[in-house]
Amino acid sequence: MIPPTCNRSKGGVRHPGKELCFRSPCFGAPAPRLLLVAVFLFFSLSAGRPGIDDKQATFFMGRVKYSSNDGNDCGGVGQDLMRLVSRASTLKIQEERKVRLTDPDLYETPFLFMNGHNDFVLTEAEIENLRKYFSHGGFFLASGCCTNPNFPKAWRREFSRIFPEEKVKPIPYDHLIYRSFYTIEHVRCLNEQRDIQLEGLFYQGRLVAVMCEDGLCCAFSANNTCNEGKGISPEDGQKLALNIAVYALTH
Amino acid sequence: MTCGMIAGVAFEYPQGWLLGLPLLGALGWMMWRQLRQGLSRSRVLMLGAVRILALLPLVFLAARPLWVAKDHPANASRAVALLLDRSESMSLEEQGSTRYEQALAFLRDRLLPALKSARLPVQAMLFDETVEPADGPKLAGTQPKGKHTNLGGAIAQALGGASDPPLAVLALTDGIANESSENARALSALVDSHVPFIGVGFGSEQGVRTLSLRQLEAPPIVPTRTSFGVSAELEILNAEEMPPFELLLYRDGQIAQKKNVAPGAGSRTWLENFQVKEDHEGVHNYTVQVLPPNVSNLKCVSTSANASVRVSDEKELRVLYIQGALTWDYKFVSLALHNDVTIKLTGLTRTSKQSIFRQNVESAGELMSGFPTSIEELAPFRVVVLSNLRPADLTPAQQDVLARFCGELGGGVLLIGGASTFDSSWQNTRLEQLMPVTFSGSPGVEGLDRPFRIQLTPEAMENPVFQIADNQPAREVWAQLPTFTQFGRVDAAKPGAHVWMVHPLENGPQGRRILMASQRYGAGLSAVLDIQNFWRWRLARDCDPQQFDRFWRQLFRFLSDAGRQDVSISLADQDLHPEMDVQVILEKQPNPKNLTDTNRKFFVRVEDSRKHLLQEEAVELEPLRPVDFRFHADKPEVYTVTVTDPLKVPISSRPIEIRNLNVEFQNTSRSMETLRQWASVSDGAAFKVEECPAASDLVLQIKAKIEEVRRGRHNRQIVGVNAWVLSFVLACLATEWTLRKRWSLA
Repeated sequence: MIPPTCNRSKGGVRHPGKELCFRSPCFGAPAPRLLLVAVFLFFSLSAGRPGIDDKQATFFMGRVKYSSNDGNDCGGVGQDLMRLVSRASTLKIQEERKVRLTDPDLYETPFLFMNGHNDFVLTEAEIENLRKYFSHGGFFLASGCCTNPNFPKAWRREFSRIFPEEKVKPIPYDHLIYRSFYTIEHVRCLNEQRDIQLEGLFYQGRLVAVMCEDGLCCAFSANNTCNEGKGISPEDGQKLALNIAVYALTH
Repeated sequence: MTCGMIAGVAFEYPQGWLLGLPLLGALGWMMWRQLRQGLSRSRVLMLGAVRILALLPLVFLAARPLWVAKDHPANASRAVALLLDRSESMSLEEQGSTRYEQALAFLRDRLLPALKSARLPVQAMLFDETVEPADGPKLAGTQPKGKHTNLGGAIAQALGGASDPPLAVLALTDGIANESSENARALSALVDSHVPFIGVGFGSEQGVRTLSLRQLEAPPIVPTRTSFGVSAELEILNAEEMPPFELLLYRDGQIAQKKNVAPGAGSRTWLENFQVKEDHEGVHNYTVQVLPPNVSNLKCVSTSANASVRVSDEKELRVLYIQGALTWDYKFVSLALHNDVTIKLTGLTRTSKQSIFRQNVESAGELMSGFPTSIEELAPFRVVVLSNLRPADLTPAQQDVLARFCGELGGGVLLIGGASTFDSSWQNTRLEQLMPVTFSGSPGVEGLDRPFRIQLTPEAMENPVFQIADNQPAREVWAQLPTFTQFGRVDAAKPGAHVWMVHPLENGPQGRRILMASQRYGAGLSAVLDIQNFWRWRLARDCDPQQFDRFWRQLFRFLSDAGRQDVSISLADQDLHPEMDVQVILEKQPNPKNLTDTNRKFFVRVEDSRKHLLQEEAVELEPLRPVDFRFHADKPEVYTVTVTDPLKVPISSRPIEIRNLNVEFQNTSRSMETLRQWASVSDGAAFKVEECPAASDLVLQIKAKIEEVRRGRHNRQIVGVNAWVLSFVLACLATEWTLRKRWSLA
């Protein structure tokens, strides 16, 4: 399962020790651990309140409206994800922005989030926009709500249309996304004897889109109340979501 | 009247003659007085005559006489100059016949009979990049194959070729003019001779389908045994459906790989990539050639392009990227370096006030204590980037280490941030000394969050760092970047700093607000980029990510010693093509390791692809004083410009590819705008051939234009203001004075 601290691994060389290191201000020497954990938690909880009209903000997340879905499934999921990210970053964050895949705003939003329950089909224009978006450096996170199989099935089918030579495929547990913040060895499914498996789309060897079919959004946002006893536990869900977000910010 | 002209004297100020009346009165009064004083009548008359002769020219000139010449309306010796375009774009086939055939049919069947019946003689000429007279058989037997269109040159030739200018210049062309060197001469000739230009445009507005290999991208330096990409940028225009075709990759002249390309439907630009790996160090020339599909009426602008790659195992350039917080800047810079294995990016990010985050470190202990506190820890890096950090985020000791890294180790330091990073908190800090600019102490600078576009300075346009596209001038490429939203409060550049980017509108205390600048600091180089969220450039919909990537790679090499050549060789802003003088700018860089270096004498050598020496010259170069150098590129190939020291040891080198682009097919749609511009400066007219009136009406319109222009055409010259008249007046006055002296008059 997930170890309590995180290890770093990058550039093909793995090292023991922490990726996230507690330091005194000014990039200085280590400080007493317990005190700093408390300080860290304080900052984690207080930081990252989304500002509505903060011009200094680097807009973080676009909530995708697609097909007949207006981007409101699991309503608070966008804010909850940003609150998670604010633990890892002093990035200034705004409210989530609803965006269609054909909107020009797509190219102002380096991180997109999409979730839902049902089947959907993307238009040619949406596929063409996504192709360009990924080739320009954008990142996409998708989550099937409440372990409903229709959404993941449609996502695999539609996202495999984006790059003719790239299909959606499972992301093995030795991928950096499982170590970008926390070190995650395995995430067990709550209701089945198997590991949770993230799936992704790669472009020129780079992971550009990630999807979890096991109710990841329900886990990190709704405390799994809508998906109780199934999919991912809330603790694992939060760590997994944070790892994905930090990976998107750094790769 | 002169030959072909009506001429005469007119007065611009006829009231000037009235001046003669008081003068005449005064003269009469003087004569009457002299008679009363007893002077003989003959002497009085003689003096009066001399005085009249002296005053007459003055009164004449007071009326401002002009010599006016007008065209004779019945001048039958002048003809209409007919220019028929025989450039290759006229060979494009539309609606079953070529544009040239359409023009010829229009001329033969409609225009010539109408001109003949109107008794307007015609002097026909064929033109492309040159002009030559042509008779009927020559017009009919010509194939349109000219490689350039010099409409301006043809107009100038038509106007200057005969003793009398033509009645009108009539051009049958598609308006696609791609040579403009003689436009100014043609323009002044048209205006001076008052000849109307009549243009008739052939071809369609849409153009025909074209295929072109726009450019070849390859990393300039790669290590051995590492796969890298050679990417051909292809473009198809106006093609509804295009069958597959082949691409060939040549390595040093030998076929290395072949690829079948299925382009699909519609106009588009895309990249085709060849994966290459080299086992040994050396320099290799890669050429990609397009084998166009066998499709009727498909035109190719260019079918091959070259790129030179140096395979070297020299030590990689390491960049330390320090962030005040996790931001998208790091991610997108990291993407820019993704395919360049010679630059390695290491990240060190403050994730909260109490924690840091490391990426791409080389050992478990590297940067474990956060920002280095000793110069030894910074030594492995060639460039340090401080992103969204303030001086307060570093201790004075850390700031001092950074300053020593730049000033003593010769490292590069780049500071990135925006309005919230660069402010008065930098004043009086150790880091401020590194900065090439000073920041405003006032928090009330306005306009920081209004959208703006980057404007490159002329100095930047000449600098290789900012050359991010091969076949497009820097100013055009940078003008296409997206708008940005925020910038830092920069007041002014420090003395000796180079300003690279400025705000297009906002002014600071000393000119435009500076967005990017750099300066020498000791042995190193420091730079500031104060545009918030610069990463937006790469994600923007209408931008080419490769240009963003290339800028960052070039900037890091510029900031590090590894990429800095002792003499920089850059291209001036120009369109490269065969048979041109290529302008190169040479600039000696200061040597931080030897600031007393006084050597100024260098040699510049130009070689072709077979290493044949084409040109060699001695040049004197002083640090940071650019010197122009030109060489003639006779034919399409890769030329190499090398700068050597007095012992002929090469110190800098740059390959320059001259490609044989078929400019006639770069834009195949008819350009009526060109014809309208020529017509408007000469009071002429421009018609699309399909909208052209009946031939007789057209000729009537041509005659009306000729008459309209001729009515306003007068040759005017001032008369009488010359040395002869002046001498005559002086002679009269001298005679009058001599007579009065001889006759002892007062």
